[in-house]
Amino acid sequence: MAFIEIQNLFKTFKDVVAINHIHLEIKQGEMLTLLGPSGCGKTTTLRCIAGLETPEEGDIVIDSKSMFSQGFVQPSKRGIGMVFQNYAVWPHMKVYNNIVYGLKLQKLSRQKIQEKAQKVLEMVGLVGLENRYPSQLSGGQQQRVALARALVGNPKVLLLDEPLSNLDAKLREELRFEIKSLVRRMGITSVYVTHDQAEAMVISDRIAVMNSGNVVQLGTAQEIYKKPANKFVADFIGTMNFIAGEVVDVLTDTNNVYVKTPFSEKMGCTTPNSTATIGQEVYASIRPEDVEVLTKPPEATENVFKGKIVHKAYLGNFLFFFVNINETMIRVQVPHHLPQKEGQELYVYLNPKKCMILS
Amino acid sequence: MSRGSISLAAILWLVIAFLVLYPLSILLTESFKIAETGGWGIGNFLEFFQDAYYLKTFGNTLFLSTLVLLTTTVFGVPLAYILARYRHWGKTMFTALILLPIVLPAFAGVFAFIIFFGKYGTVNLLLMEIGLVEKPINFIYGLHGLVFIQSLHMLPFIVLGLSAGFTNIDPSFEEAAEVEGASSFRRFFTVTLPLCTPSYMAGAVLVFLWPFTDWLTPMILGQVDFLPSVAYINIAYHFTDMHRKYMGIVSVTVAAIVCITLFLLARRWVEKRKYTGLSKGTTSEGRVIEPGAWVKSGAYAYMVFIAILVLLIPVVLGLAAFSRTWVFEAFPTNWTLENFRLILLESPGLIKNSFLFSGIALIFGIAFGLPVAYLIVRTRVWGKDALDFVITLMLAFPGIAIGVSYLLAFWKDIPLARYWIIMPLALFARRLPYFLRMAHSSYLQLDPSLEEASEVSGAGKIRTFFSISLPLLLKGVLVGVVMFFIMAFQEISTAVFLYKGGWETLPIGIYLNWHRGMEFGIAAAMAFLMIVITFILLLIISRIGGGVLKAAWGAGEK
Ligand SMILES: Nc1ncnc2c1ncn2[C@@H]1O[C@H](COP(=O)(O)OP(=O)(O)O)[C@@H](O)[C@H]1O
Ligand SMILES: [Mg+2]
Repeated sequence: MAFIEIQNLFKTFKDVVAINHIHLEIKQGEMLTLLGPSGCGKTTTLRCIAGLETPEEGDIVIDSKSMFSQGFVQPSKRGIGMVFQNYAVWPHMKVYNNIVYGLKLQKLSRQKIQEKAQKVLEMVGLVGLENRYPSQLSGGQQQRVALARALVGNPKVLLLDEPLSNLDAKLREELRFEIKSLVRRMGITSVYVTHDQAEAMVISDRIAVMNSGNVVQLGTAQEIYKKPANKFVADFIGTMNFIAGEVVDVLTDTNNVYVKTPFSEKMGCTTPNSTATIGQEVYASIRPEDVEVLTKPPEATENVFKGKIVHKAYLGNFLFFFVNINETMIRVQVPHHLPQKEGQELYVYLNPKKCMILS
Repeated sequence: MSRGSISLAAILWLVIAFLVLYPLSILLTESFKIAETGGWGIGNFLEFFQDAYYLKTFGNTLFLSTLVLLTTTVFGVPLAYILARYRHWGKTMFTALILLPIVLPAFAGVFAFIIFFGKYGTVNLLLMEIGLVEKPINFIYGLHGLVFIQSLHMLPFIVLGLSAGFTNIDPSFEEAAEVEGASSFRRFFTVTLPLCTPSYMAGAVLVFLWPFTDWLTPMILGQVDFLPSVAYINIAYHFTDMHRKYMGIVSVTVAAIVCITLFLLARRWVEKRKYTGLSKGTTSEGRVIEPGAWVKSGAYAYMVFIAILVLLIPVVLGLAAFSRTWVFEAFPTNWTLENFRLILLESPGLIKNSFLFSGIALIFGIAFGLPVAYLIVRTRVWGKDALDFVITLMLAFPGIAIGVSYLLAFWKDIPLARYWIIMPLALFARRLPYFLRMAHSSYLQLDPSLEEASEVSGAGKIRTFFSISLPLLLKGVLVGVVMFFIMAFQEISTAVFLYKGGWETLPIGIYLNWHRGMEFGIAAAMAFLMIVITFILLLIISRIGGGVLKAAWGAGEK
């Protein structure tokens, strides 16, 4: 049974469709990430959950309670905590007052408020800074205040809108893990918005990849990486080589297909989750790390192509070759001890099992 | 959009309909009424534009507008450039001084300059004393005096807009021209100035419209053949002469139409031409130059010259306020507190009225302005842009037109003008944009997620407003409050049509004492008192937030 159900949600701004009839189910205690490029509707979806936007169609059910269709439930009545992209820490209140703002509204006893505040301050590591004003804090500390404020009331749902995007890279990685372990420990159902695929993969139980108002794929990080639903997802998550072509033969029982590409008349590929038809225009797609490099021509010739290294890029623990095969460029990830130089020729093997067709 | 904001919008629209749209529509319909037959038609307008006298008046006004705009531009461009670009000592003080006329009542300047530059004023008497001239020179009575006084009053509008423009231009535009090899002179006229035209235009249109609004300066200088003065005389003095009354109403209507049309045209022009890179992403100081010694002294002399002209207003009025029978003497010799005794003890009603009416108007202003600002910035309620539009138009609307329309609208059918509440209501309607602009711009700067965070934390909309929005808006709102109060406090053009015995405010008292009663000392003392009060209020604003005048007016211009 889903804890949050997003049903047929539809929202426009003037003539822009921000969310186009999406469905999503979020399980109790799960951390789900909405991932997608800027402008794809992540924030709008999150704000609908919070009740800060009202959709034109559809409904959201939180803990078996409808948020829209049976009368609009005010944001203040939804039992949510939210962390905003720009922190939204109130500059005219000290850290402590920022954090206990919501508790005071709940008319808790003074002592109870202090207890809760103390606990959350310890959790996010802000002890000793209670009497500072936000302007006296670093960006990372302000983000912790925002997090503490969202968590202090034990919300049923935690919403986070690109909470780390304003921080520098080092701090971002640190906080990623902190947020994840904190939320895990508290067992709060949470929705996390980001456009950073690495962040999404680290932090979430499941990822919903969005594109122009639609959820294009929902799954664990591994599922999405290994079996992207389409070219958009494959391109957005990780790096992928796309070789345009046309399906020429389909072997229905083995999921194998043959595609006519610039590389060969009949290149072997698999269909991960779609059915292919002959004549369909597709992209034979393979990740750079799945391409195998051979220095001598092998005996088997299927899916083996001769190419020339046009560019070599050093990326720390591995190398990237940009290989030109029949005037089409593909990227190949190789261990950095490989001696080949720019301008040299080599053979690549595109394993049909790892070469999927996408459209 | 919630039901709450819809009903809020409805209430605010009702207020605007009653206090702005209704009286203005009465003014407009009245101008189409034929006095003789009681019918309707464009007869009045035809007559106005066929009558040689009224046509000449119209022409005079346009001519005066052109002269005032030319003068303020010629004097304002170098001034703005110096203020914005030269690194010099006393920048803040000079800026404040040069912008001062904005907050001083227009009539204060007129009186001060008559005392100083008049036929037997200080300058003429001194000149005759040292034998430079035999007969007094006419410095002030005539078109030239009018141009001088109105230009000095409006100069800040040109300087403010342009110096903001000069400061905010992305320095790379000019550097690019420099790299191309353009001389600094050429650069200024081909790059800098053209890029500043939008900010110039925003002020220039208000300058150009001032002669269509200011009835008082021409009247006091004995130059009545200008549209607003003629209208004032026709309506205030000849209300029983139907023909003159209707010509007066048409004059007011024509002036109002000219103002609104030009204002809207300028706004559209400015909107279209907002150059990117003009306002954002540069250092706050902009491009600052260290001028050579000669240029620097010249610049100082020029700033001091303008600053002295401005300072003459409070100084001369102060001298007059503390003296008895200051006539035919270069400087007063008889010092006294009598003028103040008379004001404070014998007619304290004026001061009380001024504070009471402006205070009540201010309360209306806040109670109306804050919700409007909220609606405009935070909701998508239907008709909110129109609301903003109507209120902004009041910035360009001649005060005399509002006065006349209130007189026409609230006398017979809705006899509100018989009660003193009409005074604060009229002040409220006339000065509304001053508060609203400030509230609006500070609301725009308030990040909505701060309010949303409060709602998510469990607070309702009203609670959020009081514990989050208001404290964060306070600075801007307070500046708006003080600006509104200053502008309501000095209002005369509308009030002069509506006051009855016992409702006189300080500006009306000044006008009556000077123009009708010839009690110069008392008028000067009242004007001086107003200036002192204004100064105190300004001090308060500058405590609240630096760059006060800029803040208040920068917002008003948009
Ligand atoms: N308040 C708004 N007014 C108008 N358009 C909006 C508003 N909020 C979002 N949009 C539009 O809706 C689309 C989705 O926006 P958003 O949900 O903010 O995207 P994301 O968070 O994924 O970057 C975008 O095209 C954006 O321009
Ligand atoms: Mg977003």
